[in-house]
Amino acid sequence: MSEFAILTDGLMKHYSETRAVDGLHLHVPRGSLYGFLGRNGAGKTTTIRTLMGLLRPTGGSARMLDMRVPEEQIAILQRTAYVSEKKTLPSSMTGAQLVRFNRPYYRSWSDASAAKCAQRLEIPMDQQFKRLSLGNRTKLCLLMALAQGAELLILDEPTLGLDPVIMDELLKLLIEDYAVEGRTVFLSSHRLAEVERVADWVGIIDHGKLLLEARLDDIRTEYCRINASGNALPVNIGPQILSAVFSGSLCEYVVRNDADNFVAELRSQGATILDVSPLNLGEVFLLLVRKEEPCTSGNVGATPAALSPST
Amino acid sequence: MQLHVSPATGVPLYLQIESQLKHAIAAGALKQGDTLPSVRKLAADLRINPNTVARAYQNLERDGVIRTVPGGGTFVADNVPGLLKSEKLKRLKPFALQLAVEGTQLRLSRDEILKQVHVALDELGERS
Repeated sequence: MSEFAILTDGLMKHYSETRAVDGLHLHVPRGSLYGFLGRNGAGKTTTIRTLMGLLRPTGGSARMLDMRVPEEQIAILQRTAYVSEKKTLPSSMTGAQLVRFNRPYYRSWSDASAAKCAQRLEIPMDQQFKRLSLGNRTKLCLLMALAQGAELLILDEPTLGLDPVIMDELLKLLIEDYAVEGRTVFLSSHRLAEVERVADWVGIIDHGKLLLEARLDDIRTEYCRINASGNALPVNIGPQILSAVFSGSLCEYVVRNDADNFVAELRSQGATILDVSPLNLGEVFLLLVRKEEPCTSGNVGATPAALSPST
Repeated sequence: MQLHVSPATGVPLYLQIESQLKHAIAAGALKQGDTLPSVRKLAADLRINPNTVARAYQNLERDGVIRTVPGGGTFVADNVPGLLKSEKLKRLKPFALQLAVEGTQLRLSRDEILKQVHVALDELGERS
């Protein structure tokens, strides 16, 4: 048994001109709660649809639970639950009817888990799917996936239309029923704050390529913002110093790795260190994704102070 | 004893848990032998990944702050932390250095810096 629930090797999905997924190397550890992050059109949904066997890859390969995609898709689907980006179910059926309809397809189906989910997420189970609000449709799709009792849960934008209370209940359910049971959750989302709370691994995708894949706590330790003041502060942006934004004798640096050494170096040159703080996931996300755009040069991290001199 | 973690600060969550528990023990809010919530419960309560809680507990156990009885729960250790005096001093040194550097750069006098340490100790209730 491999240590990865999902493993892709140079996975590609091209549509004539568009390279939606362009050589993706994903390593999703078993038992992790993995946040798959990216902007609109970054390739998240295409990746997920390819993994689920709904799209045929243009190149590369993928394995889920040690089984080949798409050759062993039937066996994969037996052990994987999926909430698609579209959040659709048969429109004239009610939640209760859908539970009875889905139950016989899955060996590990749990009515108890379905009931718990319906109660916690406050789902009206006796209304037809087509009469439900967007949030309630999302919740019912989540219930169908959670009640499958699958080893691997794949959620494409699972927070669509959810209010903050339900959002909180969903996170609790994912932790209680998946994370502490050692099962794997792979979820795509824009809601960085929620992902930052529950995930232990994240992958950031842009233009079909992975920009970063790491344990979330390591990302937090790795990226640092340093505010310094002094004369002749270093300006050379390199692999370690990701950005340096000056205003007068003050400079805000964003560094990667070994912030302590850089701080010591600045101090030895007579600089005063005003503040050293770690970057949160949202800031790291902007830093990495903005870097891909050609026009932003050194002004990554776009604080008001950084923007004011040039505009 | 209620823990709070804030992902938005960018400080690793396991470090936030470690420092809050150490703080609670130092301040006497948690005493020797007190039971700590299980990894599962704390993870569900805080809505954070259980691996993160487990990492914090492992580090605290390695430091002798807590002890885990297999199948029997997690407790605040007796004689916290069970380290040699020299080791304790070694751990404290970087914080002292940081305080000295920051204080000096803020142009505070030696007495003013030391006074801050006394104030902090007073606020903790001088458990010594």
